[in-house]
Amino acid sequence: MAGEMEDVTLPRATVQKIISEILDPEFSFSKEARDMLIKSGIEFIMMLSSMASEMAENEAKKTIASEHVIQALQELEFNEFVPFLQKILVEFKGSQKVKERRDSKFKNSGLSEEELLRQQEELFRQSRSKLNQK
Amino acid sequence: MERVEMSNEDEEEMLLKQGKDEGEQIDIQNNDGVDTLKEGDDEDFDVFRNVGQGLTGQYREMLIQYWQELINEIESTNEPNSKFQDDFKSHSLPLARIKKVMKTDEDVRMISAEAPILFAKACEIFITELTMRAWCVAESSKRRTLQKADIAEALQKSDMFDFLIDIIPRNLPQQ
Repeated sequence: MAGEMEDVTLPRATVQKIISEILDPEFSFSKEARDMLIKSGIEFIMMLSSMASEMAENEAKKTIASEHVIQALQELEFNEFVPFLQKILVEFKGSQKVKERRDSKFKNSGLSEEELLRQQEELFRQSRSKLNQK
Repeated sequence: MERVEMSNEDEEEMLLKQGKDEGEQIDIQNNDGVDTLKEGDDEDFDVFRNVGQGLTGQYREMLIQYWQELINEIESTNEPNSKFQDDFKSHSLPLARIKKVMKTDEDVRMISAEAPILFAKACEIFITELTMRAWCVAESSKRRTLQKADIAEALQKSDMFDFLIDIIPRNLPQQ
């Protein structure tokens, strides 16, 4: 199990994207330095998840929830991160609701895909003919 | 996981209540190192007090400005098509990978659906911060390639990086 810890890393291209977003194009990291950056990111995640796990345990919860992540950041004195994460959370929860509404509409129709396609085509046809009547 | 019954707006209001207080007065200034953000009615607690820690002059200003821009984005995101709306969808770091990292800790058992998304964002911000700080070191030596030693030096300026002490060797010779 200990060996696995060495193997998990973040994709270089993705980290490079993050770097490029902030760094002016004429600056770049040496390969070694970028790998060090990746290692730091991994270590950050590990430290944060360890603390978040502790926060969950403090509430006798088995699942690490978003509030535990927030608490962990505060415990570790990364308070400045909190407002942005809260914003992400709000956006995420909002989109989840939209997704649920959309999914249930489809599932509850009880129609096969062919039937749905046929109905869709019918609707298009109707609206086309409405336009042509103008 | 609990189902959220509140409307989107109510939730946002609740979650951002703290943030909103900060938002209205947000104006991180370099007044003798004292930042002016306060959180609600509590005893003076400045959420952004660590921003730019250990840095001075233009470098400190740069960090403060970065965080200021992030805050501005939060505040301007009640309209659709905001930056944050896409952030959690096109989050860069792969969630499966993040979950894997988390699970290397045996104490970590179950993880809610949104937790990896928060980790991805936090990690992204952290990497960005470290990049900026390493840049400050390289730039002050008029170099354009950021080296391991620049990162090592950047880490020493703030205790927020203490947890990296085993990962990054300090006192690397400058190349």
